[in-house]
Amino acid sequence: MSTEIEITGMGKVFGQGATAFRALSEIDLTIDTGEFFTLLGPSGCGKTTLLRLIAGFEVPSSGSLRINGDEVAGKGPNQRPVNTVFQNYALFPHMSVAQNIGFGLKMQGRPKAEVDATVAEMLALVRMEPMADRKPAEISGGQQQRVALARALAPRPRVLLLDEPLSALDLKLRKEMQSELKRLQTETGITFVFVTHDQEEALTMSDRIAVMKSGKILQLGTPHDIYHAPAERFVADFIGDTNFLDLPVAAINGNRAVLTLPGGKQTTAELPEGMRPVVGETVTTVIRPEQALIVPGPDADLFGVLQDAVFFGTDTHLNLRLEDGQAFTLRRQNTVSDDEPAPGSRLGLRLSAGALRVLRG
Amino acid sequence: MERERHGWKWLLSAPALVVLIAAASGPLLIVAVYSLLSPGEMGGVSWVFSTEAWMRVFMSRDIFEPEIISWNSAHFTVFWRTIWLSMQTTLICAVLGFPTAWFIATRPPASRTLWLFLITIPFWTNLLIRTFAIQELIRNSGTINSILMWTGLIERPIQLLYTDFAVLLGMSYVFLPLMILPLYAAMDKLDFRLVEAGYDLYASRMQVLRHVIIPMVKPGFIAGSILVFIPSIGAYVTPRILGGGRTMMMGNLIGLQFGQGQNWPLGAALSVLLLVIVVGALIFYLRVVNREEGPRHG
Repeated sequence: MSTEIEITGMGKVFGQGATAFRALSEIDLTIDTGEFFTLLGPSGCGKTTLLRLIAGFEVPSSGSLRINGDEVAGKGPNQRPVNTVFQNYALFPHMSVAQNIGFGLKMQGRPKAEVDATVAEMLALVRMEPMADRKPAEISGGQQQRVALARALAPRPRVLLLDEPLSALDLKLRKEMQSELKRLQTETGITFVFVTHDQEEALTMSDRIAVMKSGKILQLGTPHDIYHAPAERFVADFIGDTNFLDLPVAAINGNRAVLTLPGGKQTTAELPEGMRPVVGETVTTVIRPEQALIVPGPDADLFGVLQDAVFFGTDTHLNLRLEDGQAFTLRRQNTVSDDEPAPGSRLGLRLSAGALRVLRG
Repeated sequence: MERERHGWKWLLSAPALVVLIAAASGPLLIVAVYSLLSPGEMGGVSWVFSTEAWMRVFMSRDIFEPEIISWNSAHFTVFWRTIWLSMQTTLICAVLGFPTAWFIATRPPASRTLWLFLITIPFWTNLLIRTFAIQELIRNSGTINSILMWTGLIERPIQLLYTDFAVLLGMSYVFLPLMILPLYAAMDKLDFRLVEAGYDLYASRMQVLRHVIIPMVKPGFIAGSILVFIPSIGAYVTPRILGGGRTMMMGNLIGLQFGQGQNWPLGAALSVLLLVIVVGALIFYLRVVNREEGPRHG
């Protein structure tokens, strides 16, 4: 797989002197050709700044940016093989749907016959043929979204940038557009760089995710890695529901630590690279709510007293208090409507093997 | 009962109606009626019906043999100059006003108020004073000619004052804010992401200007053009002071009939013609502008 985008030491500072604001620390990042790459983080984490730097709307304060091997840091947005789908679509209100889609090709000076053919092809791709002559104000939000996509795809860019394109849509439409986006990406083979603050969206659509905070990339990996092996507390907390357990180290065994669970039983967990806690030290571990099971007393790793249960339809969240007072949430699938444990009852829990992860720091 | 009370409600708008009738329609009606009367001895009108004034708008009688009638070329020159200078003024204001408005609209919000304030300052000064200031600048021994002669670029002063150029300069200066303000209002509402979208889709600066910005601020251009063109057509002070007697516009011609000329009916007829030209130009302009808009969908 070849490299599409290569970012080295690229940073962005807005303003000067005392009012300077570092929106993006110097980062290194490579994105592969044909990849669905997601920048995920809370607002103000620098993900949109990074996207705008790739698009060419901002000039980096430092570093280099190569697209398909060409240095583009000094080039304007109209000289980069990159197109953007804007958060609020930014469709030209004075042009029809077809004119919007054909705009990029027209500006590139392509012959009219080619423009018309590509517009027709794009209209079909996003299933908007009947709306070709409408103005953007005359179509729905979801349709505008599809036109914005078609407009950005029409010039066949090497990279498509998407700035929270689904955030303005309602839930059902958002789900539809998620699979639509994935389909378009697979069909066109274009590299997608997708910005979102919605962790679920990131997990379902991406090949790789970069989790960002305060202008830095905290963790880079596949959705599976990010979810199951969060590198930091922030990542674990931001993505999915998580239990944090502070556990004392009973022994160190190579790169594994023996940890004492509340109630006295012991378990082992792999240590992050380079982390060497001493015996007796307390480390923070994470475990997802679905990685524990309710089991009969003798099989249990630890015990908790049920505080309350929250019904979610497909599953129920049981909020427990462990013997040492720490909180623990357990997700139980509602496979059968069996007898719900009553608040106050003492439940035995078993942790899935290898599920417990020690956090760095 | 209900119906009767309802019937009286229009009385509430009576003050507005009185003002409209007295201040707008009334004088217009008087002017229209005067244009169909005969001139009085020392100005004013005598109440005798006559179409002479309307005839004299377009034709002139030979001084010695009044039966000989020919086209009044002096009047036509004035009509054409009025329309031509007003069109040029509108164009100059649009060309100068666009970058100015763009400059203001792209400043940080806090300093925009200051710039707009600076644009409107000239309105606070009397038009006469401002026009005399321009006269001071461009007269033969004025600032511009003095500097040019001092630097040795020219030997004799260039005749700037009392030319079409002087009138054009004065009117463009006076009416420029009327173009800038509506343009600014349109640009202020412009979504700058559309400009970014244009650049993103491979448009050059000129293409973004032509295909994105100008179509988006077109309502500002339309409003600004109307606001500049209409007062230009009726301008009086500026052509009077900067054009002298040589570069007369319709406003001056009308003024002349009510003053020295002592021919009120002719003045009134010219006024009605001026109104017809303005309304006609406005309708023509809006037609053209709306045709360019292309077919609209429901």
